[in-house]
Amino acid sequence: MEQTVASAETETLRVNSLHAFAYCQRLFYLEEVEELYTQNESVFAGRRLHAELQKLEREDWQEFNLESVALGLRGRVDALRTLEGHLIPYEHKIGRCYRDRQQQPQAWHSDRVQILAYACLLETVLGVTVPEGRIHYHRDNVTVRVPVDEAGRQLVRDTIEQARQLRASLERPPVCRNERLCLNCSLAPVCLPEEARLARDPEHLPLRLFPRDDEREIIHVTAGKALIRRAGEQLRIAIDDEPEQKLPIQQVGQIVIHKFAQITTPAIHLCAYQDVGVHFISSGGRYIGSIDNRKGSIQRRIRQYQALTNPDQCLRLAQLLVNCRGQSQRRLLLRAQRNRQDALPALQEITTQMEQLLDTISHTDSLEALRGIEGHLAALYFSGLPYLIGDQVPEKLHFNGRNRRPPQDRFNALLSFGYGMLLKDVMNAILTVGLEPAFGFYHQPRTQAPPLALDLMEIFRVPLVDMVVIASINRMQWNFDECFEVCRDHVWLSDDGRRKFIQLYEARKGEMWKHPVTNYSLTYRRLLELEVRLLEKEWCGEAGLFGKLILR
Amino acid sequence: MGESKNWYLICYDIRDPKRWRQVYKQLEGYGERLQFSIFRCRLTPREREKLRWQLEKVLTEEDDLLIVGLCNQCIERVRACNRSGAWPVSEQNFKIF
Ligand code: SF4
Repeated sequence: MEQTVASAETETLRVNSLHAFAYCQRLFYLEEVEELYTQNESVFAGRRLHAELQKLEREDWQEFNLESVALGLRGRVDALRTLEGHLIPYEHKIGRCYRDRQQQPQAWHSDRVQILAYACLLETVLGVTVPEGRIHYHRDNVTVRVPVDEAGRQLVRDTIEQARQLRASLERPPVCRNERLCLNCSLAPVCLPEEARLARDPEHLPLRLFPRDDEREIIHVTAGKALIRRAGEQLRIAIDDEPEQKLPIQQVGQIVIHKFAQITTPAIHLCAYQDVGVHFISSGGRYIGSIDNRKGSIQRRIRQYQALTNPDQCLRLAQLLVNCRGQSQRRLLLRAQRNRQDALPALQEITTQMEQLLDTISHTDSLEALRGIEGHLAALYFSGLPYLIGDQVPEKLHFNGRNRRPPQDRFNALLSFGYGMLLKDVMNAILTVGLEPAFGFYHQPRTQAPPLALDLMEIFRVPLVDMVVIASINRMQWNFDECFEVCRDHVWLSDDGRRKFIQLYEARKGEMWKHPVTNYSLTYRRLLELEVRLLEKEWCGEAGLFGKLILR
Repeated sequence: MGESKNWYLICYDIRDPKRWRQVYKQLEGYGERLQFSIFRCRLTPREREKLRWQLEKVLTEEDDLLIVGLCNQCIERVRACNRSGAWPVSEQNFKIF
């Protein structure tokens, strides 16, 4: 760590990062220190503008890559013109300019800092004096002239100094005051400024800056003899002699390889490059692992280690978790009470006991005590589950207690496969956010699966797996000869059953859910990632939103 | 579901075979080819802008590019006027092979 700090102090800053700093200090920190980059449409629109300009001015377009260690800056000037013997840097912006009270066009503060920084960089490197810089705003087609004076140069020096200090700091700055800045900020979906404001002020009504749904598809390859390869910007899937299926890479979010399909190295490279998750599931339906291509974001993991080595923090988070799952389990049984008058006394007894147990969670003072409660809650819940199965369902699909490794009946085979899928999705979310899956707060680091993933799974077991299994059984969607393979006392899903389950599970993930705290709706698919981001906020001074996904 | 995605018809006329291939390859990463130089892509605003930027880096003055956004009603009309299967619509966010 010493080393990174030392080089961070001497390394020059990009002029663009100075622009970010002047826009919002948190933005600067997220990009420069946490190495989070996301691009929204305006980022790409800006790049396109530059590509277009470059073509228009083919002859006199020159890009200058400049660096000055003395000044502490480096950057590329958009365009440079000579006017009356003076060099003038130009900057092109796709949007509108700022209008002052008299409606006169002005530069936005961050743009002004940026063009002044280019001017100072030119002055230092070339030993000339730059009298002004110009910014052209394309949306309203005006050029704003920014004079370079001593005050401007001082502003640049001060900003560099402040930015350097912030870069060396371990504290992530709070969200910016001006909420309008966030609306146009490309990092909003990972910064979650509205959620941070809500954490600080429960009265705040957050806007949803987080996408409602994933834009990319999840691809399950269940055919054992499939070959996944790269062809240009596509993935191609060949199964036996059928014509290859083409998948445009920009439309793919995850590749899930069930059993032993082949994937070529170039295909893996393409996935890694495009941030496509690649996951492996065994023929028995167990989660095997993922390709982990997390780059950077070291700071976030250092903060995770610091937070999760604190026993009080772990206990608090674990309490939230056990409460969240237990409450959802109880709610599910309560729902059943409405339709099952015959089982009413039994269910009432179970849910009352669960309620009493849930009340004790906040008084526990150790993880061991909490595990005891959780075990007890689970036992009660599973003893209530059989009452949720309708009378019409044949005996073979009934539930008589949880067993696994290997599952001994059809119901358990479905649950186990579902939990495998869920673990895969939780892992995908953890890797996307850049946290360390092997470092959790509740589960012991001794099972094969990464503890943080097991921790987070608790939140989603009831809504994404248990409910899917129960509903599909009650709807008689399973054919017990075709969907299952039985081998003495082991039961697992057949190819048919596997495909059917994936279908049901993915459809469930696509359903909308209104978040009880933030009050906006999104799909379960999206909630997985949101929950990981909210967890991370728990130790970044924006606590209070994690573990609230309780069934209504 | 995924309400921020829209269909686009992307047509191009490119004078130089090398650039044509480059553009063709880029577009294959976003959607599916319908005819010789016509693609259909279902894109979010972010993807649309990313694609426009990537194409702009390849295209020159003499090339033509037409991006047509289609609303749901347009899609229905496209389907009504064509043979069945000309514009299949699946709104699912997953595929199983
Ligand atoms: S979303 Fe808002 S607070 Fe977060 S980095 Fe962007 S401008 Fe700053």
